[in-house]
Amino acid sequence: MIKIGIPRALFYFRYGEFWQHFFRNLGYEIVVSPSTNKQILEQGLKYVSSEICLPVKIICGHIEVLKNQVDAIFLPRFVELNHGLYTCPKMIGIVDIAQIQVGNACEILSPKIKDNFMLAHFQTGLKLTGNPIKVIKALNRAIPYLSHHKKLSNSEDHKQRILLLSHFYNLWDDFIGKDIINSFQSCGFDIATKEDLPDKVLKSDKGFAKNIRWVYERELYNAFQYYSDKVAGICNIISFGCGPDSLIGEIMSKQANEYKTPFLQLIIDEHTSKTGINTRIEAFSEIINRNYQSKPYLTK
Amino acid sequence: MKVAFPYFGYDTIALKNFLEMLGAEVVLPPLPTERTLSLGTKYSPELICLPFKITLGNFIEALEAGADTLFMAAGARKCRFGYYHFIQETILKQIDNNVDFYPISQYTPFEFIFQKMPKIFSVSPARVMKSINFLLAHSRLIENFRKLVRQARVIDFTLASIHEKHALEIIADAINLMQIRKARKEIKALFNFADDLPENIIKVGLVGEIYLMLEPFANHDIEKELGKMGVLVLNNRSLYRHIKHLLHIDFDRIKLNHRAYKYLKESPGGEALNTVGEARTFIKNGVDGIIHIFPFTCMPENIALEALQKMSDDYSVPILSLSIDEHTSKIGLLTRLEAFIDILKRVKNQKAVSRVPRSSLLTPH
Repeated sequence: MIKIGIPRALFYFRYGEFWQHFFRNLGYEIVVSPSTNKQILEQGLKYVSSEICLPVKIICGHIEVLKNQVDAIFLPRFVELNHGLYTCPKMIGIVDIAQIQVGNACEILSPKIKDNFMLAHFQTGLKLTGNPIKVIKALNRAIPYLSHHKKLSNSEDHKQRILLLSHFYNLWDDFIGKDIINSFQSCGFDIATKEDLPDKVLKSDKGFAKNIRWVYERELYNAFQYYSDKVAGICNIISFGCGPDSLIGEIMSKQANEYKTPFLQLIIDEHTSKTGINTRIEAFSEIINRNYQSKPYLTK
Repeated sequence: MKVAFPYFGYDTIALKNFLEMLGAEVVLPPLPTERTLSLGTKYSPELICLPFKITLGNFIEALEAGADTLFMAAGARKCRFGYYHFIQETILKQIDNNVDFYPISQYTPFEFIFQKMPKIFSVSPARVMKSINFLLAHSRLIENFRKLVRQARVIDFTLASIHEKHALEIIADAINLMQIRKARKEIKALFNFADDLPENIIKVGLVGEIYLMLEPFANHDIEKELGKMGVLVLNNRSLYRHIKHLLHIDFDRIKLNHRAYKYLKESPGGEALNTVGEARTFIKNGVDGIIHIFPFTCMPENIALEALQKMSDDYSVPILSLSIDEHTSKIGLLTRLEAFIDILKRVKNQKAVSRVPRSSLLTPH
């Protein structure tokens, strides 16, 4: 039985469930790499230049873990999504990096996704099985899982809400996001993320958002606009070396200043310490509490 | 209307003459210095790449010099460069509220010719087209000149720098097509002492991000420094080619993209495909080494970097990657370059020895 590996990084946190169901329905064995830990990260650091952002380093580590266990690694090349919006140069290039890294150890399945998400998956399935009806059936059964976004369950009592503004591959990765989420929760906050919002809000192209041609940055910016007057504070998590974030993060922090919403920018890389982040979050929660007393209308 | 735009290496002259042909009064900021960079860095976002900082510094100094209309290339795609102007505009508006800031989208040549330029300068589209024609001729002259001066530096560095100044004056004075033709002959005559190069010369191909490759302030004058060491630099990037590419008449690009396909199956944006394609062409033409220069945290070039390293293994050609930011020191850069050139020399000598057939070494003359 052919084993297909899916690295638990980057796009896994949005399409992972869909992919798992799709390939299982086709009758393949799925191997998902374990959650990110220090060893995996260190493996990844060997293969990419030090300037590249943390999520890409992490996915290289996952590929390294998978490459000797499986026959093929599934790593689609996301070029364009949502009608001509780009992902990011590194997401496009990661397949080439992976190809260089893996060599002949296993195959890389990388359908090119250029506004044709379903078609690309159909072609991959067809290439693997050669049976179009089986592929369509598998796709049909997997489609419901596309809209399964990971969400945080919030408590019932009315606590102050904070917006954690970051890409899904940062926020839901155990190595990056877990500590930050825990810190905020232990400071007594409810956490809102962009995954709580409907697609209609995230994909809107009103105002400045229409100038942003990076699909995930547009989502972040729309979430920021939506929440900016509904939450007590905003925390933006940026991985060092992330190009799109360095620009849009700056624009958002300037606008947050205008709205007088407390805004915290956490820049993370492989050297970031848990303690340092905790200290900053505690200080930030102090600021929010002070700000909150002067603005009682910020309750849920 | 006093127009200013950021420096773009030697091609600044061509852009200046282009705008003057459209009837603008061009106020160039003072040549970029440490002050430009520190001004730019002061107002820039922390994690942005180097070209943003230098161009912003240029704009601030241009405002100080009395400019009131600023031009910046734009065009939002995969690379960060297309988004520069959003932030630069807000920053500059904070400094001087009356400034007019015009982002010029690179990827819409028709809009540029028929709407944008006629509206700003109140000229006819025909005149814009005529000016673009002139810009092409002028930037081609500069491309030619840069090629000649790179060769001349290897033969005689002092003479080359004297002639370089003279040639730049000739180029700046050429304001119509006839004069450009004349200037081309004059420049060729100036540098005719470097027509035939010695055979065993070290050749280095320069690839990377276009701004870093063309603007001497940004790349710490890398071409000149290499010329001083007696190294012939090959650099195929220029404003001429870039404009041709934007007008969709650069057919070399297809070849380059095809060559890059072995390493990069899809363009990650920016100039990554170009970098990889050029590097492979250089290697095919037999250079001794490749220097890859890009701004720190540049997204497309970092992808190209991985491809270049694989290429370096495949063809066993040394590649030096230089990632430049505002803290890069010239001395540090020079040390790395010297060490790299030493490696190239050693490799070349070893190859020369091994290429001599065994039998000829054994037989006494």
